[in-house]
Amino acid sequence: MFKKRNLRLTLVLVLAAIATLAGCSSNSGNGNSSTSNANEKKTASLAQELIYATAKDINDMNPHLYPGSMPAQGIVYESLVENTANGIKPLLAESWEISEDGTTYTFHLRKNVTFHDGAPFNAEAVKKNIDAVQNNAAMHAWIKLSSKLVETKVIDEYTVQLVLSEPYYPTLLELSMTRPYVFLSPNDFINGQTKDGVNGYNGTGPYRLTEHKTDQYATFEANEHYWNGVPRIPKIKAKVLPAGETTFLALKKGEVNFVFTDDRGTDSIDVEAMKTLAESGKFQIVRSAPMNTKMIVANSSRKDSPAAEKAVREAIWHSIDREAISKELFNGTESPAEALFSSNVNYANIDLKKRAYDLETAKKLLDEADWTLQPGDEIRKKNGHALIMGLYYDVNSSSQKSEAELLQNTLKKIGVQLELIGEESTSIANRRSTGDYDLLFNQTWGLAYDPQSTIASFTSEAAYYHTTSGIAKSDELYKKIDEVMASTDEATRKSLYKDILTIVHDEAVFIPITNGRVTIVAPTALKEISFKQTQFELPFEQMYFE
Amino acid sequence: MKRIGSLLQDRLALLSLFIITSTLLAGIFAPWIAPNDPEEVHMELRFASASWEYLLGNDHLGRCVLSRLIYGIRPSVLGVLAVLAISVGIGTAIGFIAGYFKGKLDALLMRICDIMLSFPGYVMTLGIIGILGVGLQHILLAFVLMKWSWFARIIRTSVMQYADAEYVKFSKTLGIGSLRIIWKHIVPVTVPVIAVTSSSAFSSMVLQLSGYSFLGLGVQAPHAEWGMMLNEAREVMFSRPELLLAPGITTILFVSAVHFFTDALQVALDPKLGSSGRKKQRKGRFQTANLQGSEVA
Amino acid sequence: MSGYIFRRSLLAIPLLLVISFLTFVLNALSPMDPAELVLHAQGVPRITDELITATRTALGMDQPFLIRYLDWLFSCLQLDFGNSYVTGKPVWSMLGPAFLNTLELTILSVVAVIAASIGLGIVCALTEGRWLDKSIRGAAFVLTSMPSYLLAALLVWYFSVKLDWLPTTGKETVQSYILPVSVITISYAGHYFRIVRSAMLMNLNEDYVLFGRACGLPESRITIRLLRNSLQVAVSVFCMAIPIILGSTVVIENLFAWPGLGMLSVKSILSRDFPIIQAYVLVLAAAFVVVNTFSDIINALINPKLRENDL
Repeated sequence: MFKKRNLRLTLVLVLAAIATLAGCSSNSGNGNSSTSNANEKKTASLAQELIYATAKDINDMNPHLYPGSMPAQGIVYESLVENTANGIKPLLAESWEISEDGTTYTFHLRKNVTFHDGAPFNAEAVKKNIDAVQNNAAMHAWIKLSSKLVETKVIDEYTVQLVLSEPYYPTLLELSMTRPYVFLSPNDFINGQTKDGVNGYNGTGPYRLTEHKTDQYATFEANEHYWNGVPRIPKIKAKVLPAGETTFLALKKGEVNFVFTDDRGTDSIDVEAMKTLAESGKFQIVRSAPMNTKMIVANSSRKDSPAAEKAVREAIWHSIDREAISKELFNGTESPAEALFSSNVNYANIDLKKRAYDLETAKKLLDEADWTLQPGDEIRKKNGHALIMGLYYDVNSSSQKSEAELLQNTLKKIGVQLELIGEESTSIANRRSTGDYDLLFNQTWGLAYDPQSTIASFTSEAAYYHTTSGIAKSDELYKKIDEVMASTDEATRKSLYKDILTIVHDEAVFIPITNGRVTIVAPTALKEISFKQTQFELPFEQMYFE
Repeated sequence: MKRIGSLLQDRLALLSLFIITSTLLAGIFAPWIAPNDPEEVHMELRFASASWEYLLGNDHLGRCVLSRLIYGIRPSVLGVLAVLAISVGIGTAIGFIAGYFKGKLDALLMRICDIMLSFPGYVMTLGIIGILGVGLQHILLAFVLMKWSWFARIIRTSVMQYADAEYVKFSKTLGIGSLRIIWKHIVPVTVPVIAVTSSSAFSSMVLQLSGYSFLGLGVQAPHAEWGMMLNEAREVMFSRPELLLAPGITTILFVSAVHFFTDALQVALDPKLGSSGRKKQRKGRFQTANLQGSEVA
Repeated sequence: MSGYIFRRSLLAIPLLLVISFLTFVLNALSPMDPAELVLHAQGVPRITDELITATRTALGMDQPFLIRYLDWLFSCLQLDFGNSYVTGKPVWSMLGPAFLNTLELTILSVVAVIAASIGLGIVCALTEGRWLDKSIRGAAFVLTSMPSYLLAALLVWYFSVKLDWLPTTGKETVQSYILPVSVITISYAGHYFRIVRSAMLMNLNEDYVLFGRACGLPESRITIRLLRNSLQVAVSVFCMAIPIILGSTVVIENLFAWPGLGMLSVKSILSRDFPIIQAYVLVLAAAFVVVNTFSDIINALINPKLRENDL
């Protein structure tokens, strides 16, 4: 008896559990209504505070090193000049002159600027910061300026001069970047240096870091003495949340009220979830113009990897169904990319051979390269080696994983096997710089960096050296890159860039997927949401709640 | 055999057994049972709802959810079962050696067990994945490394109980070989303990594996696994909650079945219980619960 | 008694040594060259063979294995586990706070698990066979068959979003503790209350209860006596539960963004931050041994019979 009733009871309970689950599904649509009141109450009380979700801790905020979160560093520190849609504009430097020979830059600094700790921002502080960066030059090899900068001279209290070893046209562009040429209060230096850590994080920016609990949150408060007027949002909080539905729930509940594509190109919530939020009327979705190119980067220098062969890389290029990715995975929010840089990027409006989604061509390429499929085999072979490659993706990015799985399935049909490995973005960056990969997901660095910095980084081990060094014309490529950076003539530059982009396009080492944007999900009451020329920062100081 | 008979009379146990065996069979014969290729992507069917061709609908890449569920049995259940068999095998061998021969060998083996048991299972598994890399095979390897000592301990205790029994002593004085004594007199009486212990470990291992996959440390794409399916469904938990249902309910059903079966097995197999008097039945249950003091996910 | 405590504590020392050795060996199994890893971690752009050799010497890797182990062990004893490859910060500065957070979660959960198990166990034993007993056990069956992350997701959806009572994640307010502790409690109490219940039922049929009743002792006194005897059994099980819960908060921490060891370890695995993984294994295994030693001692205090058996 005991048993029978127990059975019935269990069945009832299982059914109840199923019903609960089913209940979740049917209620999710209208479930909002019952919570809306509570939510309104919450959002109202939060109105003065902007809380954004981030998958990673802000980490070490030292602006002269690279582990820190760029959006956070972007509101705390400032550079001499700013890169805008209309070119380079003054920021901490009010004006500047460039010498005739292009090797001396003289900056006239803004006079009413202080660091968050009260220390004055002057030529001495600029020199100390730049010297500290130069002292760790190996770390900054990806920024060519670091190897050209010879001396920083203090002319007077508010005038500073940078002397270069040779003309270098992207100097101002590189000085405008989020790091490393930004300014930290000299009081925070340890023994006059920053490379082994710093004592504090006092910049000159619109916000100052007031509290940081590792892996929990970081609070930034408006800088009351900001030279460009006190920002209207008094407090910004960066809250660490796992991506996906946790962020979505926190957003829905009002625990965070701002979400954006992070500095590695990862969206915290998927397109569908964003849509439901926008439909609720409490949130708005703002997308930037296409900002960068999302791509798969192939390692051309690892000789034992099939990815070192041009034909294999081209075959992969032909196997990516960009239309389907754009339409199905991104609901049309990202457009297919056909080249490393989209044509709106400077110097990138050139004719390049389009490689369409075409499996027949891909098969032909592989056959011609002697990667043949023997009857009964599933994977192509050449000299006994199977056509297997590893593709690394960011575990926090669901879109990368989906793209990887899609590509894996397509390639399987033409006899190519992909092994997918999900890792944290830091680990992927590490693989990129050590050449320990066949294929990995990456993105170009955004309008402020493209093409000059991205191209300069082809030669840098910290970035794309392993991607480019194995190709047939690598010497020519590197020579041209050196030339273009030193050239002062626009027409020469144009033709050199064309050659460079044609070489990497022909070699198919950067396999484009889509043109990425920065997406922001924010309360409808938040106004003046805009973007910078880079995906790495947002102009929080301009936003305000209505 | 009478005991098995009584097990079969328990309808609940029968139902559990049915669920377990049909799951195992479905896993083994997945290529014949699954209606579609579990890894075949159809982007145009992204998040499509159930249809005749795809009975449980399609996931974020338009893959057949039902087929993935069936193929997912292989790592989620069969993989765990294989690992369980290996660790029970090792544990039994060592448990018998230690429990029957005792003395220094026993002391040595048990010290080794102590050391292995002093690594908490979760920590050790994470350590192994951390060093060797993410992947199903490393989790399973960690399971073997961690679990054998647990089985060895329990089996040793149970062997010791019987090794001192009068009839064993009697056989020894008759000069019957150790192997023969173990085989004839000790194996039969320890089988229940082994069966119950493994059965209860089974459910907790299935849950643990699904936890690791959920964290992205287990099975790698594109292979299907229940925990990973749940993880993928989590991304769209609120826009497409139905995707959570299939792997969720399957896991719950299967683990419940194993739980129930363990209980029934315990009651049916414990030779001390003989007839299933109420008081004694409770005693059996107590032991099961005690053994379940292993980790749950 | 003090003799037993002393001997039992001494026993933990060789165990700790073996564990530390195994952890060290585990790391040596790593397919990566530590010198190369350190150089990458420092962001050195061009790694030459000379640089690797120099780093190997600097790391003392040309020393014999045993010397390296002893060096490593002594620095570990001073809580020097090296620096994280990812952040460059000392490992302990990251592991320490995370360990405290996990410990906090564990202690609260253990208290809740014990309270819930005893409460439910008693209720079920007293109402044995009636609907309350059966529904509690049935519910426990389903709940313990559910992967804990699924349970957590459902609870978050219901209590945080639908009812808007509790925060979804984090560790900021008192309310943030409720959900993670509840999920752990449900997962474990669902197993442990059955032990309390069985122990109670076994005792119910013991002669002293029948005798007491026959003699007309007040029911309350019998119940107290019953409780005391039954809980004795349960205590040893609970002692075993503490270290188990300490090690298995991984999934829950990752779901609730709880800044503890579980989150740190998974993050480190996915970013291949070996020094953290190594220290994590070592610290938790050591904690496990210490807690086990304590629980053995407590057990022996309550249950003197165990003492003679085990040592």
